Amino acid sequence: MKTVARPARRQVLALGPYSAWALLFILVPLLFVAYYAFTDDNFAFTLAHIQRFFFSTADGGEVHTYLLIFWRSLKLALISTAICLVLGYPIAYIMARAKPKVQKTFMTVIMIPMWMNFLIRTYAWMTILQDTGILNNFLAALHLGRIHIIGTEAAVVIGMVYDYFPYMILPLYSIMAKMDGKLLEAARDLGCSSFGVLRRVVWPLSLPGVISGVNMVLIPSISTFYISQKLGDGKFFLIGDAIEGQYVANNLHFAAAIAFVLMVVLLACMALLNYLAARRTEGGGI
Amino acid sequence: MRLSAKIYTALILLFLFAPIVILLVFSFNSGNSLSVFSGFSLHWYKELFRDANTLGALKNTLVLALAASLLSTIMGTAAAVGINKLRNRYLKYALRTATNIPMVNPDIITGISLMLMFVFVGRLMGLGTSLSFWTMLIAHITFCLPYVILQVLPKLRQLDPALSEAAMDLGCTPVRAFFKVELPEIMPGVLTGMIMAFTLSLDDFVISYFTAGNGFETLPIRIYSMTKKTVTPKMYALATLIFFAILALLVVNNLMDDSDEEGAPKRRRRSGRGGKLLAGGVVAVALALIVVTSIAGEQNVRTLNVYNWGEYISDGSDGSLNTITAFETWYEETYGEKVKVNYSTYASNEDLYAKLKSGAVSYDVIIPSDYMIARLQEEGMLRPLNFDNIPNYQYIGEDFRGLYYDPEEAYTVPYTYGVVGVIYNANAVDPADAQGWDLLWNEKYTRSILQFNNARDAFGTAMYRLGIDVNTEDKAQWDQAFQALVDQRPLVKAYVMDEIFNALEAGEADVGAYYAGDYFTMVDAQAPTVDLQFYYPETTNYFFDAMCVPACCQDQELAEIFINYMLSEEPAVANAEYLYYACPNRLVYENEDYQEEMGEEVMDILYPEIQGFAELYNRYAYRNLPDEMLNYMNTLWEQVKIN
Repeated sequence: MKTVARPARRQVLALGPYSAWALLFILVPLLFVAYYAFTDDNFAFTLAHIQRFFFSTADGGEVHTYLLIFWRSLKLALISTAICLVLGYPIAYIMARAKPKVQKTFMTVIMIPMWMNFLIRTYAWMTILQDTGILNNFLAALHLGRIHIIGTEAAVVIGMVYDYFPYMILPLYSIMAKMDGKLLEAARDLGCSSFGVLRRVVWPLSLPGVISGVNMVLIPSISTFYISQKLGDGKFFLIGDAIEGQYVANNLHFAAAIAFVLMVVLLACMALLNYLAARRTEGGGI
Repeated sequence: MRLSAKIYTALILLFLFAPIVILLVFSFNSGNSLSVFSGFSLHWYKELFRDANTLGALKNTLVLALAASLLSTIMGTAAAVGINKLRNRYLKYALRTATNIPMVNPDIITGISLMLMFVFVGRLMGLGTSLSFWTMLIAHITFCLPYVILQVLPKLRQLDPALSEAAMDLGCTPVRAFFKVELPEIMPGVLTGMIMAFTLSLDDFVISYFTAGNGFETLPIRIYSMTKKTVTPKMYALATLIFFAILALLVVNNLMDDSDEEGAPKRRRRSGRGGKLLAGGVVAVALALIVVTSIAGEQNVRTLNVYNWGEYISDGSDGSLNTITAFETWYEETYGEKVKVNYSTYASNEDLYAKLKSGAVSYDVIIPSDYMIARLQEEGMLRPLNFDNIPNYQYIGEDFRGLYYDPEEAYTVPYTYGVVGVIYNANAVDPADAQGWDLLWNEKYTRSILQFNNARDAFGTAMYRLGIDVNTEDKAQWDQAFQALVDQRPLVKAYVMDEIFNALEAGEADVGAYYAGDYFTMVDAQAPTVDLQFYYPETTNYFFDAMCVPACCQDQELAEIFINYMLSEEPAVANAEYLYYACPNRLVYENEDYQEEMGEEVMDILYPEIQGFAELYNRYAYRNLPDEMLNYMNTLWEQVKIN
């Protein structure tokens, strides 16, 4: 091992540019979010923006404006994430159990929709779900009546599920593909039912994949603003819309305050998830 | 696979591919609808290749994606090598956390955080513009890096340390050993990382949206401003082409991976060669493009940054005149030197204000609306014009001069004007109801009514209806209008801006208020079951959009030459015919060809004969409200939207 020690030290030097970059363009900008969130237009310290987020009310104090938006975003994102998990888990399992050659094709096929521009994909959903859209024209042609979806929470959830579904499948599949098939056989030999195998063997082993899939769907859904604009008919104001709206209105400090609260809440959630994951498994990530 | 599994897989694939298939199919639509297919045609592909702005945005996107993926791959691979050899646990943990941040943080926060820093630093350095191509490149490299590292690191872990030891025993220096032995081994990971970075950068909208500089519009940003207006199958055609290009890239990558796995003995040599070949190819193309663009950039041509509303200039689509290239040609012929126009677009006056105010960008010509002009001027953000450079100003009609937003005729040259009217579908709305603003509050049309998705305009409709002065500073009156909007909310189908085109054309909704000129655009595109009609309520909003030179302008003379050119007959007429807005320029509205082209009905609606136009305009137009009123209005508006 002595012979590797010296080159190893040199190779660590290769970290230099990246460390500087990460400090300058990942960490420092986050400090700027906090800085703007706690200062006014003249960069003097203030809690006004944070207070506005938590205490601004509507309807004679009955509704907490931003807390309501936050809750709505969280709710829709959680529903979407749950649907992605329920729909994605079996697919990932089916993929992982297929022949290796098939697996690869399968993977590519699942990923293909992701290579279509996100804005255009969402827009296409709008043309499908509209009252006079493709779906309703189709239903009408079959004399099945029409359904009203666009502008409802359901439409926003459909958009979120569609746009972020592959993010759920990806980590689930990669963890399941690594699972040793012999374990499942052994469980069955020892008298487990199919469901028992799933519950006692597959599910616990796939938990890290579940956690990273949940992360990868929850985060973009909670912060989206395009999906709610297009599929919510401008009626579903989400936390992302609030940030974007304040940015457009040039209230950078309040935009930063909303972003700051969102970031802190998400980091707390993530820390909790990772803590739970770490108790079960070792490592993960880099 | 069991049958149930097969059926389930098929259903999921149907869900995933339905919109994609629809997109592909409708890109070949001969009509302009995105929901009714009227026949096969390559029309929109032809249109796409005529659209210089979109192609320019595509080029920008590619340059950015190539540069970002290349740089992030180099830096990321180096970082992975370092991380792999790192022994210090704490350092490793810190780096792991930092690397994870861009992946676990929502895009909107990454974008906002970088934007805040760039703007702050730009202000410290006293720069007129802090956002540019370079800030976008930094942002893209930043969010690509983690993906590269995560692709390369596992490959490094699989490496047998004995390999590089052997190479060094045989006399290689460590650096050489890395390039000779380790790099070829980890090449598949490096390549996958680079391709991931490339596609991520290509597709990124949110982070780009917050860090974009002027004159550098990427495709997703352009698509975003276009989807605020009517989207034609042209965008589908574009998406289809990009889609297949990326697909080809992926297939090539996968095939190479396949050849990696087959035939173990040949493996090393093949992956090395194939990898180098593709990497070499991509690098060569990237470098060539970057060199070409940087040479083009260094020619030191006079440049003009024009910032206009989306879809607010004749741009060469549908056989119209491309005003921007026509100006470039005309300029070169007249002055014997080249000029380059950077044309970019905004979606609202407030967007424009935010961009100017942040000092993030610099423009030479902007085209805001009246109340925003008043505001910009009050805040000293406009420059007085030198009318010696704008002799064509003489053609502006007398009625349209010296209006409230520029009484001294010092800062502005009117571009278009318009009047807000009510548009309704006569197949769904009883003509007897089609009067005044009440139609927008008529319960018979519950969930068929469209309201502006913009505080000022939405409050305007309520205030005109209630007979309140739209510029009032009496909070009680604003509360009254607020109550009207809250009452209206259950009737409203959607809050829209340019989405109104689609909604009314398709019969998604039956009633909405919008600008007269846009009514004709909608009629041209209305579905067979829809019969759109138009009327003016008695009191309504008049607006002017005018060309101005912002204080941050870098070349005022050129800006004035451009403004003057826009007033000359050929571009002005082409523009008016394309836009369908009323034009205050005599060379246009007195032009017989133009009148004929528009037709009598259109001329009557676009140019209503109004006695005392200036007086009416000054009474009913939106004015710049004091900050306190604006904040009050915005707070009320948020409540309308949230309830």
